[in-house]
This record gives sequence, C-alpha cells and structure tokens, in this order.
Amino acid sequence: MTDLAARPVAAPPRGHDSAFLAVAWAIGSRGLLRMRRLPSLIFPVVFMPVFFVVAFSGSFASVTDIRGYGTDEAVNWMTAWAMLQGAAFAGVGAAGSAATDLENGFFDRLLLAPTNRLALMAGSVLYGQLRSLIPITLVLGVAFLLGADMPGGPLGLVTIYVGCVGAATVMSLFGLAVVYRMQTLQSLALIQIGIFTFMFMSIGQAPLVAIEGWLHTVARVNPMTNVIRLVRQGFIGDVTWSVTWPGLLALAGLTGCFGAMALRSLARIRP
Amino acid sequence: MSALDQTIALSRRSVLATVRQPQNWVPGLFFPLMLAAVYTSQFARAVRLEGFPDVDSFLDFLVPASILQGVAFGANNGASELALDIENGFIDRLLASPVARSSILVGRLAGSAIFAALQAVFLMIVFVVFGARIAAGFPGAVVLVLVGVLLALAIGGIGCSLAFRTGSQEAIQSTFPLIFVLLFVSSAFFPTSLMEGWYGALARHNPITWIVDPTRRLVIEGFDWTDVGSALGITAAFAVASSLLALSQLRWRTRRL
Repeated sequence: MTDLAARPVAAPPRGHDSAFLAVAWAIGSRGLLRMRRLPSLIFPVVFMPVFFVVAFSGSFASVTDIRGYGTDEAVNWMTAWAMLQGAAFAGVGAAGSAATDLENGFFDRLLLAPTNRLALMAGSVLYGQLRSLIPITLVLGVAFLLGADMPGGPLGLVTIYVGCVGAATVMSLFGLAVVYRMQTLQSLALIQIGIFTFMFMSIGQAPLVAIEGWLHTVARVNPMTNVIRLVRQGFIGDVTWSVTWPGLLALAGLTGCFGAMALRSLARIRP
Repeated sequence: MSALDQTIALSRRSVLATVRQPQNWVPGLFFPLMLAAVYTSQFARAVRLEGFPDVDSFLDFLVPASILQGVAFGANNGASELALDIENGFIDRLLASPVARSSILVGRLAGSAIFAALQAVFLMIVFVVFGARIAAGFPGAVVLVLVGVLLALAIGGIGCSLAFRTGSQEAIQSTFPLIFVLLFVSSAFFPTSLMEGWYGALARHNPITWIVDPTRRLVIEGFDWTDVGSALGITAAFAVASSLLALSQLRWRTRRL
C-alpha cells in the first residue's frame, strides 16, 4: 500500500498547467453552484455582511466623536470592517465546503483520481475568493446608499478588492488547514473562533489610538491591522503607498504561513 | 414513571447532550467573553461621550448584553438539538412510547433553562473577576440569572416551535443570525440615545432593549423594584408566549403521526 501521507504534494507536471487550472476551476465553480442550490449557504454570504455594515454604522454612530477615527461618519469607518467580515465568512464557507466533501466521501474520490492535490486546495481557495466578491460588492453598494464617501477614488476601490480578496484567501487557507487536519464539519466552530479572534483583536471598530489596555498591544502587532488599514484607506482619505505596502506584506506573509499549514495537512490525508 | 419523572429524565438528557458536545456550548461562552474583552478596550473612551450612561467602564455597561448573548446562543443550540432528535427519529420513538407529550417540550426547555443559569453565573463570575461591578449586589445578580433563564425559555420556545414545524436542524441554524440582529439593533452594545435616525428608532422599539435597559440599570445604578419588575415581567411574558407557541407546534407534529 502506498503511503500517501509520506508522499509530498507534487507541483503540477510541466505541460499540465491547463489541467491544474481546469481542476482548480472545477472545484471552485462546484462550490459556487452548491451555494446557488442551497439557500441556507447564501444567507450568511449575502445577509450577514450587509447587516454588519448597517448595524455597526448604526449602533456605533457616535464613536466617531472620539479622537482618531479620521472621519465624521461611522459608515466610512465600519464599511471596511464589514467587508472583511464578509471575506472571512467566505473563507469559512470554502473550508465548510471542503469539510462536507471530506465527511460525505467525495473528497476521497477526488484524492483517488489522477489529479494534483495542490489543484484541489487551489480550487477551494478559488471558491473562497469568488464567494467573497459577493459580500464585498453588496456591502460597498449598501455603504454608498448609507452615505459612505470614497475620497480615495478608483484607487481606493482597487485596494478594497485586493485587500478583501486577499483576506478571503488567507481565511480560506486557515480554514482548510484546520479542516484537512480534523476532517469534520464540527471543526468549523474552531475555525470561526480562530478567524473572529484574529479579526476582532485589531482596529476593526476603533482606531489604534482609541484602544486601551492589552488590546492596544495585540492590535498593534496583529497583521490584520495592516490589512484593515489597506482596505479602509480609500474611505477616509487618499490611497498612499505607506499604508498599502504593509497591508500587502501582511497578506503575503499570512498566505505563505497558512498556505504551508494547509499543504502540510492536505499531504497527510489518506483516501 | 410519572410525567414529572419523564420531564426530569429528558431535561437531564438535554443538559448532558449539551455538556458532552463542547462545540455546542463553547461558542456561547467564548463569543460573549471575547466581544466583552474587545469592546471594553476598543470603546473605553466611548463612556466619556455626552449622553452615555454613568459607568465606571464599558465592561459594566456590557454585562447584561453579554449574558443575554451567551444565553441566546445556548437556547438556539438547544432547539437545534431538538431538531436533530426529530431528524434522527428519536422524537418519533418518544411519541410512540407512553411518554407525556408535554414532557418532551418541557424537558427540552428545562434543559436550556438550567444551562442558561449555569452560563449566566459563569459569565457573571468572570466579569466580576475582571472588574465589573454589579451595583444591585447579590439580589441584582440573582435577577440577572433569572432574566437569562427566562430569555432562554423565550428563545428556546421559538426555536422549538420551528424545530417541531420543520424538523430541520439547518432551519434552526439559519435563525442564528436573526438573534444577532435582535441583539445588535437594540441597546445591548451601545445606548440607544447615541444612535441616530431610523436605526435608533428601531432599536428603541426592539423588545431586547426593553429587557436590557432595566437589567442594565440594576448593574450600573442599583436595586430598584420597578426595574426588577420590568426586566422579569417582559422576559416572562415572552417566555410564556413562545412556550405556548412551541406547545401548539408539538401538538401539530403529534397530530401528523
């Protein structure tokens, strides 16, 4: 019997790039199709992020009176946070889809097929990325209806999409690392706890200067803080390279770290 | 075995099922604690805003909301467990046995209520350890636990109604965001006096606000019989209404067999 756990995850063979992409696309589009057919999956994608921008902007409308927010309108501050929450949900969704496949045996059949394992993982991440476009765009639309500004102009929109899709990639990889290891749907609770702890312990709802105590220290070193700044900058001012590069660096680092973890967990799965 | 014995046995089963599955109770403790910890630091300066209630820290302000949040999550999970019992045929076997019909519902709700009381006590102890002060003292803490228990019955009753009606765990899980909506569009996390426009108006008319406000006054101002009456009376009214709704849905399911 071949020891699949010991087998390294191979890079796609030369000349087979199109096959790799075809498998990744098939897995990604299958996830989107599944989402369309199961209304219960659409609800958190569409409803929750839109609710977040309305609720955070409404509940905390007065917090922008505190020094450091850099805007008078809470919606300008909270929209980036709500969009990143939507991207995080997309990551949980990608992991959930993989967990369902692992539980019902479909993933075993994929592993036994002559496909590159890396393509299976890339497909799930692609699903997370594509899924994240829905809440990002919806939240943006609702935010403009609520009166959000975009002084950053078109470049601000670019940083929003780059930052949020990057965050969806990071969260998908984190979720997949856990799901490939635990191979159960129940691991989603653990993923949600991990993702939301990571996200909440940042500058999501308040600027660093307004945060006091232990959270100030944690938020300062949390890479998510730079990602939020990257996404938020277009709402509160011009897009600058000094805010952009730390966000991109944080996304690259987190993608590398969680990607390696996910690959390691995937390599250990036996069909 | 009397109806009471059956109810006790089913309540015990309900509590044990929750305790033995950490994924059912950990989020109900983790998220309120995490949100309280994060908001206390993030909105530490918000307590100085004009119109904010006179509190020592944002944690004092959050105590009732965090307890109600935890209890609401737990009650929703209890209903989800009932739906699972329906899905896997356990309820059908119970209905085929000479068990009192009402004990199926009462047992489940009692289990949720017991768990809510444990959650409320645990959360309160953690908050007090981290510096929260309950101005109404021990009697106020007891009222907080009772409000938690009644809210568990209210939310659990609605969840059980849906479980009896749909028999689907997925349907119950999908109502979870609605609890989140009810909590956020209320005075749970920020005073309604500092909310603006239609959102503020909606929050002021949310029943959760009617429960949270008097409960919060017990925490930050002190013991007052009017607040005790409001907090317990409103929550009890919702608990009775939703329990009756659940009972009617149980009868509907029984008639279908």
